[in-house]
Amino acid sequence: MKPVLEGRDVSRSFGGLMALHRVSFQLFEGEIVGLIGPNGSGKTTLFNAITGVFPPQEGEILLDGKPISRLKPFQICRMGIGRTFQIVRPFLKMTCLENVLVGIVGKDEKGTSREERVEQALLELEFVGLGGQSHRLAGSLTLLQKKMLELARALATRPRVLLLDEVLAGLNPSEILQALHMIEAIRVKRKVTIFWVEHVMGAIMTACQRIIVLDQGRKIAEGPPDEVRSNPRVIEAYLGGADA
Amino acid sequence: MSEFLMFLTNGLVMGGINAISALGVSLVVGIMRVINFAHGEMYIFGGYLSYQLAVGAGIPPVLSMLCSVAAVFLGGLAIEKWLIRPTYGDEMYSLIITFILSIILQNAALLIFGPYPVKPPSLVFGATNIFGLFHYGNQRLLSLALAAGIIGAIMYLVRRTWFGKSVRAISQDREMAAMLGVDHLKVNMISFGLGCALAASAGAIIAPIFPVTPSGSGAVSLTAFVVVVLGGMGSLKGCIAGGVILGVLENLGAAYISTDYRHIFGFIILIGVLVLRPWGLFGKRI
Repeated sequence: MKPVLEGRDVSRSFGGLMALHRVSFQLFEGEIVGLIGPNGSGKTTLFNAITGVFPPQEGEILLDGKPISRLKPFQICRMGIGRTFQIVRPFLKMTCLENVLVGIVGKDEKGTSREERVEQALLELEFVGLGGQSHRLAGSLTLLQKKMLELARALATRPRVLLLDEVLAGLNPSEILQALHMIEAIRVKRKVTIFWVEHVMGAIMTACQRIIVLDQGRKIAEGPPDEVRSNPRVIEAYLGGADA
Repeated sequence: MSEFLMFLTNGLVMGGINAISALGVSLVVGIMRVINFAHGEMYIFGGYLSYQLAVGAGIPPVLSMLCSVAAVFLGGLAIEKWLIRPTYGDEMYSLIITFILSIILQNAALLIFGPYPVKPPSLVFGATNIFGLFHYGNQRLLSLALAAGIIGAIMYLVRRTWFGKSVRAISQDREMAAMLGVDHLKVNMISFGLGCALAASAGAIIAPIFPVTPSGSGAVSLTAFVVVVLGGMGSLKGCIAGGVILGVLENLGAAYISTDYRHIFGFIILIGVLVLRPWGLFGKRI
């Protein structure tokens, strides 16, 4: 089976700091893969490399076998990679509907008519449970609703792969449960492959089929959650070595 | 009383011109975080090209106006693509580039058009009696109508069109907009072209009333910046309100206090706003 998203020896440094060092990974169709690691281990840098914000200096990133690491962020989005941010970033001065429409227009500038676009946007809002909120300003939503709006907006670009950066941060336990259901729905109903950075360990260990662990810019472990949890290198990265 | 109303109307005409010129600055600042110091030169070129096409080439005045604005729009696209785009990521570079551009264009205008003020032919002649109170030049009334039409068109463009949605998305969060597939390079280029075209249209509209000269460009840029700060950064409504307020105050001040201090009145208001309400009339409090 060919991977949907693949990274080959991706490296990126900022000044003298090696933020990513020869990281390779593969995501297969319909998979949900977790990306964990201590603070500063390069998780967000890897997402920035994939989405073209800070392209890799060495190595290659491929989507469906096509290299994307020389493309601009908006082109990478149009190729089929969506992303949400750790700190929610809806366009606060726009309504929910307009927020989602930006994603739809971004993906497909010409083509469909106004009615079709609005209809699709309303469907996306409905899907994430914001059906009745379409004309509310994004700035007036609760945190959970803002996160859902970000998901709807990312889905509006019809991604093949969705990168989630700490969607659960700041949510209470019952909200976490709702968010988890939504992520599962996106994977199963929308057939989107998910690459997910998270600090809420319990959640990511139950939800993901496979976990990739980064530490100081290097991949130190990869495998099913149970295996990763008991891996001595992972424990050392999180808790510090015996000599630390 | 009728005299006062006439000065007020004069102020409104200048206010409309101020507003479209300032909208051009605001659009470029809001979307690209670039301050175009060559804004005033675009205004001058708008006026001069319109004059040259109408008088030199004998094209009908309406058409020469449209052609001059279109030419400056294309020039703006080219400037963005070849001079501003390479500076993305460091706003200081674009600041220096547009400053140099302003000097070059001003001297180019001196070389090409000469130092003398020029006045393109009027589109309409005669005067209209306004509610039996005073007679007012038709060309001035037309200028006010044109300015209002352009303001309306820009508001429609930003509020109602797909291009406007992309513009607003980028001005709120450039990186996020790119993540959603919005082609910011294209939006930037068109916005810069539009900013230049707005300055040129202000110049072309007002030139038949107040002649343009190459040395007047600095004052035009300054007025536009004052209006943007007065109205509040990033607010289109602020540009319109700020432009009208400045136009009316300058004209009333010139009429009742002294014409020598015409431009001082605007700055007094600006200082007052900066002291009491530094985020401008319609801007967001930081």
